[in-house]
Amino acid sequence: MPDEPFQGKGKAEMDATQWHEVKKGDTLSKLAEKYYGDPGLYTTIFEANRDRLKDPNLIRIGQKLRIP
Amino acid sequence: MKKILSIAVALLFALSLGACSQAKGPAEAAIKAAEDALNTGKADAMKYIPDQVKAAEDALKAAKDAFAKGDYAAATTAATNASAKVKDFAAAVAAKKAELTKAWGEQSQLLPNMIAAIKSRVDVLSKSKKLPANLDKEKFEGAKNGLAEIDKAWGEASNAFKEGGLADALAKAKSVKEKAVEIMTTLGMQVPAAAKS
Repeated sequence: MPDEPFQGKGKAEMDATQWHEVKKGDTLSKLAEKYYGDPGLYTTIFEANRDRLKDPNLIRIGQKLRIP
Repeated sequence: MKKILSIAVALLFALSLGACSQAKGPAEAAIKAAEDALNTGKADAMKYIPDQVKAAEDALKAAKDAFAKGDYAAATTAATNASAKVKDFAAAVAAKKAELTKAWGEQSQLLPNMIAAIKSRVDVLSKSKKLPANLDKEKFEGAKNGLAEIDKAWGEASNAFKEGGLADALAKAKSVKEKAVEIMTTLGMQVPAAAKS
């Protein structure tokens, strides 16, 4: 699992994937509100990170999540 | 004595005329050779090294001007100079093509990534009941229109590349990149490092 999205200099510089590093107090709903204005769209973030999230309620500090 | 002097003057005149016509021929040939070489390589070179083409054209013009004034030695030198400049075209064009191809390779990795990321964000925001802070409806509409523009412009840039218009393709890619950066910033997205330079 590519848990270090910022690795590989040349490729990383070309990468336009949007990432969020989880901080204390973050939830997927809060991230959906921050990035989309709608907490109900948390499932979009969850689906985009199914390779690293088993449960939308379980995210850990420092984890890097894709924000579609 | 007077007769001898007249003969000597006439002889000198004839000799100088001979020398003159001897220099005229090579000058004429040098100009023709430079002109032919320039006309052969000019079309391709203009796309990649227009400054060098202009320098060769200037040298050829100098040769023609000198020729018109009867300064055949200067005309030959200038024409030889023009030919030397034209000789460098092939290597310079190849170097420029390699440089542009490398730049295109980078853009063709970066820009589709940026466009895809913007599309993805616009799709999600289109489903949102409310827009995020710092993004109002007008800005969002502007971003959507901008996305359609860069999508089309990227297609045009790719076609220009396929048709061999490297410089044109790169110019189009540059404007796509600038617009994509603008849209990403409006949407509050992270701009890839390669797009910042």
